[in-house]
Amino acid sequence: MNHIYIENSSANRAMEVLQLKNVSKVYTLGEERVTAIDKINISIKKGDFVALVGPSGSGKSTAMNLVGCLDIATTGEIYLSEVNIQKLTESDLAQIRGKKIGFIFQTFNLIPSLDALENVALPMMFQNVPRDIRIKRAKALLEQVGLKERMYHRPNQLSGGQRQRVAIARALVNDPEIILADEPTGNLDTKTGDEIMDILKELHKKGRTIILVTHNPDLTKLANKVFTLKDGKIVGA
Amino acid sequence: MFTDYFLLSLKSIRHRKLRSWLTVIGIVIGVAAIISLITLSRSLQGTIEDQFESFGANRILISAKGFQGPGTLSQGLTMDDVETIEKISGFEYVIPGIFRSSEVNFKGQTSFTLVGGIPSQYYEEFYTDTGVDIVDGRNVKEGEKYVAIIGSRVATEMFDKEVHVGDKIEMGHQEYRVVGILQEVGNAQDDSQISIPLDAARELFDEEDAVDLIIAQVKVTDEIPQLQEKIEKELEQERDDTNFQVVTAAQILEQIGQVLGIMQIVLVGIAAISLIVGAIGIMNSMYTSVLERTKEIGIMKAIGARNKDILILFIIESGLIGLVGGALGVLIGAALAYAVGPLSQNAGFTIHITLEPLVLLFGLAFAFVVGIIAGILPAWQASRLKPIDALRYE
Repeated sequence: MNHIYIENSSANRAMEVLQLKNVSKVYTLGEERVTAIDKINISIKKGDFVALVGPSGSGKSTAMNLVGCLDIATTGEIYLSEVNIQKLTESDLAQIRGKKIGFIFQTFNLIPSLDALENVALPMMFQNVPRDIRIKRAKALLEQVGLKERMYHRPNQLSGGQRQRVAIARALVNDPEIILADEPTGNLDTKTGDEIMDILKELHKKGRTIILVTHNPDLTKLANKVFTLKDGKIVGA
Repeated sequence: MFTDYFLLSLKSIRHRKLRSWLTVIGIVIGVAAIISLITLSRSLQGTIEDQFESFGANRILISAKGFQGPGTLSQGLTMDDVETIEKISGFEYVIPGIFRSSEVNFKGQTSFTLVGGIPSQYYEEFYTDTGVDIVDGRNVKEGEKYVAIIGSRVATEMFDKEVHVGDKIEMGHQEYRVVGILQEVGNAQDDSQISIPLDAARELFDEEDAVDLIIAQVKVTDEIPQLQEKIEKELEQERDDTNFQVVTAAQILEQIGQVLGIMQIVLVGIAAISLIVGAIGIMNSMYTSVLERTKEIGIMKAIGARNKDILILFIIESGLIGLVGGALGVLIGAALAYAVGPLSQNAGFTIHITLEPLVLLFGLAFAFVVGIIAGILPAWQASRLKPIDALRYE
């Protein structure tokens, strides 16, 4: 995979973890063409806490999918740590997702048949990390998010807040460049939501790059950069 | 690496316990049916072959063909035919025999069974060459007349009271002294036979010259085909007809083998259908699983699983279902064969069940392969899911 790092690397983007250049996403629904994202430019530096806000239908989910390498832009270029992901194969994209992006979802998205420890360790399996190291790292991370006593519980045996902590531990396990949190508090009560936001704040302090996708303006207070999307365009930054 | 996938698949199977087991059962039934039927029919064949081997691979049997008797042109065998055969060199001995059904009385009880008569002087050689031992008493001696050797079933099952050596049995108002009891052969007809000297049989059945079966014991096994041909030629010349048949043990064996072979193909074919149904069950279960776990597949892809990872995971899963079904099927199939074996004894034929490791291994491997094949399409479909679509799926 080394070629990916060599290709497209240039000095002037050294600090940029993520860059979207003139990125558009057009869906074709039958005869109709829907522009979900319209020529947006976003630049995120290492250590940034970025909020991507906008009402539903604004294109923020599409933007998140593009940033998370879950989808490919129709036009424009996306650079993730200097790599133009537009040019990657499906398999390489999967590798990039596993290695460089830590996802935190609104609905937690844990695997129901696996316990907390196995859920956290799973992304390392797809990166061919040896088993003993996987277990060690997963245990350490679960301890950090305060779930030492709950390692062997399955998701349905955990509360919403606990599940989201497991998801955070899972997001961190491959030491990603970016943590991509999509409405991480959306399914939680205020108190638990605050606790999760505290963890994100803590991670930011330790130098993590965080992209928070939300429709809740309150959550954007933590961010040092806010991109507001409307009708597929950035209307405020 | 493979171990990790394996464990992950195993967890997923265990998570859907009920459906996994139901799917496994489909395979179990198919494999068990195939294993038990193959084992049974092969054991049956083996048992028959064993019997024939001990029964005299060196024998040529001559009998009349078709229906004979008064009013028909066909003429049964007579002592003339025995003489014709005796003239041909290459035989250890040529035994004329009468084999017919008769009423037998013992201690006031009446039964019907097959009575065989061969000359008293041949008894010793006949039973030695046949490989059947006399387990109680002795053989018929040359010159004896109203004596009998009885099969094991005659001794133990035919009458309410057991027949012992020295007891008298009555056939055609003539008493016969039982001098010997034969070992159990395994098939009802032989074990229910009573053997008496030919002279006595001629009196019993009121036949002066007729012969039902001629047993010609060959000196050199390799000469059997030539001798068979010679007998046919000489008999045809002497009798001026072809109302007789000359068969060798090998020919009978071949015929039985062919019949059993066809039976085996039919039975295994039927069993294979149930295995196909089982495979469709796996496929159905895997498709359901893909649908049910669409979101899970999306999650795995989001956290770095490539298409081939998903493909491997699902194929291992279906292969595992096949393997578990195969293992249980082999066990149950073997148990079934062992259970049916003794039942055959009641029907008059003892099948000695022999489990062949290769057949068992084949059953296991086959189920595994069937599982994998059934899983390929669903796994392919799973691996091709787009992460965003899969993640959005509820």
